[in-house]
Amino acid sequence: MQTLIEARKLTKDFDKFRAVNDLSFEVKKGEIFGLLGPNGAGKTTTLRMLSGLLTPTSGEAFIAGHSMQHDQLAARSAMGFLTGDMDLYRRLTPVEVLAYFAKLYGVPKAQWQAKGKQLIEAFGISEFKDKHCEKLSTGQKQRVSIARTLIHDPQVVILDEPTTGLDIMASEFILQFIRRMAKEEGKTVIFSTHHLDEVERLCDRIAIIHKGELQHYGTIAEAKSRSGKEKLAEAFFQLVDA
Amino acid sequence: MRTHIISTIFQKELKEVLRDKRMIYLIILMPFFLYPVLFTIIGKVGQSQSKKIASEKVTVYLNPEGQGTPIYDLLQKDTSLKIVVQNFDRAAIDTLKNTIGILVDQNFANIQNENGSAAVKVFVDNSKDLLNSRKKKVLKKLNQLNDDLVHQRLTQASLDPTFIQAIDIQEEDLATEEQMLGKILGSFLPMLLLLFIFLGCIYIAIDITAGEKERRTLQSLFTTPVTTREIIAGKFGAVFTVGIVSAAMNLLSLFFAMFIQVSLMTSDGTSGDGPPEFALTVSPMGWMWVIIIILLSTIFLAALSLAVVLLANSYKEAQSYVSPLMMLVLLPAIVSQMPGLELNMTTAMIPMLNISLAIGEVIKGGFDVGLVALVALFALIYAVLALLMASLTFGNENVITGEKVSFKGLFKR
Repeated sequence: MQTLIEARKLTKDFDKFRAVNDLSFEVKKGEIFGLLGPNGAGKTTTLRMLSGLLTPTSGEAFIAGHSMQHDQLAARSAMGFLTGDMDLYRRLTPVEVLAYFAKLYGVPKAQWQAKGKQLIEAFGISEFKDKHCEKLSTGQKQRVSIARTLIHDPQVVILDEPTTGLDIMASEFILQFIRRMAKEEGKTVIFSTHHLDEVERLCDRIAIIHKGELQHYGTIAEAKSRSGKEKLAEAFFQLVDA
Repeated sequence: MRTHIISTIFQKELKEVLRDKRMIYLIILMPFFLYPVLFTIIGKVGQSQSKKIASEKVTVYLNPEGQGTPIYDLLQKDTSLKIVVQNFDRAAIDTLKNTIGILVDQNFANIQNENGSAAVKVFVDNSKDLLNSRKKKVLKKLNQLNDDLVHQRLTQASLDPTFIQAIDIQEEDLATEEQMLGKILGSFLPMLLLLFIFLGCIYIAIDITAGEKERRTLQSLFTTPVTTREIIAGKFGAVFTVGIVSAAMNLLSLFFAMFIQVSLMTSDGTSGDGPPEFALTVSPMGWMWVIIIILLSTIFLAALSLAVVLLANSYKEAQSYVSPLMMLVLLPAIVSQMPGLELNMTTAMIPMLNISLAIGEVIKGGFDVGLVALVALFALIYAVLALLMASLTFGNENVITGEKVSFKGLFKR
């Protein structure tokens, strides 16, 4: 199966602190890949290197076969990226946000209008599509943010803690959409979260990182088997402490 | 760089700015109302003060020995003075309100008969506008009396009045009213213009950089297939546009307020000799240079604002950069008002000072095209340097990820 995301020996230093060390993994087309680790493990730094926001000290990241270091525009075109650190333009409406990002991604007008309509329906944005984003609830904002991430129909979607701060209904909505996106539309998803139950429900494979080092890379079953634990949470603690 | 991407970013930034009531108030409404209201209030207060000074009576204490002299007759004819003949001393005048003391020599008549010089001492508190104004009037009368008495003495001695005037100094003012207006405007207009451009640029620069970092919207822009240069160009275009609009609105409002003020003075008849003119004699070539220099200085200020405020992580932090930056921009413009400082090969190279001097000289008239062109060249160089600095700041990954940016870290990639 085609590899759509590849982290090749990624290392990132901040002055004398090494946040990520020699990290390598691959994610195949249509996979939902979970990136797990405690706070400060290096998850966000890894995702930022994959998205091109940070330049690795060494190593290279590839998105849909394009190097993020040497062919950045092509790599970014193939990727939709959303982290908890991102918000929406307060004085724009959801429709304007979608139009703005579609134009930045170079999507032809007819195409993004159709895609925008589809996303507005899929995410239940219709009722607040013309309100300024500053007036939206956290859940509504998150729906618009994910729709914004998908407006150019990317092959790869990177989501950093997409359900943080959402209520149970909004979280469930997002999780189901992630599953549909991967399994029905064949998109490749990297998904970082602290909620291990979400990981068990969604992820085909996982990477557990701790102190910048890769502790486990494989399926959830393999993690449980390696650690000798029945539950993912127990396996996680075992692998992180090892 | 792709123009459609730059245009998309530019349009989005302007759309957000136009939806920000604070920005609209600062850029359009405030200048629109500020100057006319301010000038009208100042004008009205000034007029009422002038009328008060013209109409209010001032008491003049004159010692009894002065009563029989021509000085008494002279002062009594003035209806704005109330003459009180009585003895007084310095301390008494000091304690009385609106009072001037005139002490005439006891032997005034004898001294005059002997062709001597009689002392006339005027006691006045010059710190009071009313007394100062009236003192000038009294001194003018006394000088006229002195001239008349000297003239009489010369006639009695069969001498021509030119006997005591070896040189007849005659001054002719060659400046037209337009040139005088140009001189006044040329001295303060460049400074105001730079201030308006700076204020217009800095607030939108804060909003679309540090403001975006604070609102956590900058990162998403950097994950799109858009280059840093395209982002800078789009944002810079928005800052530049608002800077120019702000300067234009402020200037229009300022000229409008001045026009109203001049009209008020004309209608009230307090302007002196005839109605004042409100016209400048700047040649089309002069205006062209003014526009070129304004555009280049706006490019410089827009890029400088972007580069500096981008180092801040929040709106509040960015606002703390405004005052020092404003001093940096305005101090050279203030220095340009120093007497004797003019545009030459050296001053043409100093940022802000050169722009202030060049605009001032063009408005005053009679400028050196070569020097003004040199100022434009240096303004262009500084604008390019400021854009490079903005590019350096924008390319820093700490800026992109919203982390704190150290000055040392600015040069790291």
